[in-house]
Amino acid sequence: MSMSRARFPKLLRAVGVAAAVCAGAALAPTVSAHHSFASFDRTKKVTLTGTVKDFQWTNPHAWIQVTVPDDKGQATEWGIECGSPNMMVRTGWKKTALKPGDQVVAVVNPLLDGRPNGSLVTITLADGTVLGPGDAPPPRPLGSSTRSQ
Amino acid sequence: MQRAARRSSGLIASCLLAALGVASCGTPEAGGESPASATANAAPKTATDRGLTGVWVPIGSFEDPAGPSPWSNTPWPRNPPFTPAGAAESQRLDDHSNFTACTPGGPVFHMWEIGIFPIQLLEAPDQIVIVREASGIPRRIYTDGRGHPPEDEMVATWNGHSIGTWDGDVLVVDTVGTNGKARAANGVGSNAKVSSIDDDPRFPLSDQLHLVERLRLVANDELLEDELAINDPKFYTEPVVLKHYFQRRPDIDILEYFCGDNPRAGDDTAKATP
Repeated sequence: MSMSRARFPKLLRAVGVAAAVCAGAALAPTVSAHHSFASFDRTKKVTLTGTVKDFQWTNPHAWIQVTVPDDKGQATEWGIECGSPNMMVRTGWKKTALKPGDQVVAVVNPLLDGRPNGSLVTITLADGTVLGPGDAPPPRPLGSSTRSQ
Repeated sequence: MQRAARRSSGLIASCLLAALGVASCGTPEAGGESPASATANAAPKTATDRGLTGVWVPIGSFEDPAGPSPWSNTPWPRNPPFTPAGAAESQRLDDHSNFTACTPGGPVFHMWEIGIFPIQLLEAPDQIVIVREASGIPRRIYTDGRGHPPEDEMVATWNGHSIGTWDGDVLVVDTVGTNGKARAANGVGSNAKVSSIDDDPRFPLSDQLHLVERLRLVANDELLEDELAINDPKFYTEPVVLKHYFQRRPDIDILEYFCGDNPRAGDDTAKATP
């Protein structure tokens, strides 16, 4: 999962939760060695705009707690599951990437049962950095890895 | 995680072996810097350096589990030669509600999980240790000529008991003594599908597993090939033979991974609404 830069989409602040069915999400990877991700609806992506409440930088999965307001002023706390921090540090993450109070926009595959948890697809940090859930190490082309011992 | 000091990797391997109680912590070999132009075969091969020591990342990805040709993982058979017991256990493992989080994977899963978690091979005079980042249980392959323990002294374990012999440049690994409780051999998480496009049947392994592997270096020693012959008469009517590939990755370190640090599963919202 590569790291890229983008402007923080301010317009999305006005919309607490925007859901969209995305046929392309069928190819979204799982990120788990710990449990099945069958409880998430991998055909659906939900965009969450809110404030970080907690960032659990833990194995087997990191979790981001985000408080998401709706257009009526009601707030819902979402739990967002990431991959292992081991995978995340290999794909651009640092444990300092998030802190309570940060404004973020997260795209998640939500739980099938409607409760406010999601499996992270991408998250846009306050500075515009876009990160994924943690994934395989960036690939190297064949011929680039030699014996070093 | 990128590592700048390639030169120290041999010493690190020796020290890791020392930490595991299988070797002393020695002096690294001269040289060791690995410019892109270096040829893989330049390193010497000795009794304890067959070129296996190092970190290896499984080839393939969630979207493409086989990986690029010509060194592609063998697809899992779509119609496995299940016995009735094997078919029933496959169906049980396919049910998400039957998974138990954090269970070890067993010796086949240890050598499979595509992409995300690396393994590390460490060569010692009497054994080769295979550490898998996402497992606290290494595989120990004894290469000192011993056999398996007598059946009445065998302690059944998650990864079983492994002995290895060299057939030229091929390490032949014979494994028995598994406990039959491991997760599906072709899962990612316990019982999990590799991806949402994965509709292969789950591959269970029983306590009757007799796994025979042939490991060798290919592609100018950059890839590790593991041919796995799964003999399990309790669950399969004939052997299932697969080839899995790993790429040498001296730029990556194996990190600690304890599955119980944060036991939340995906549908656990307990901390979402304190």
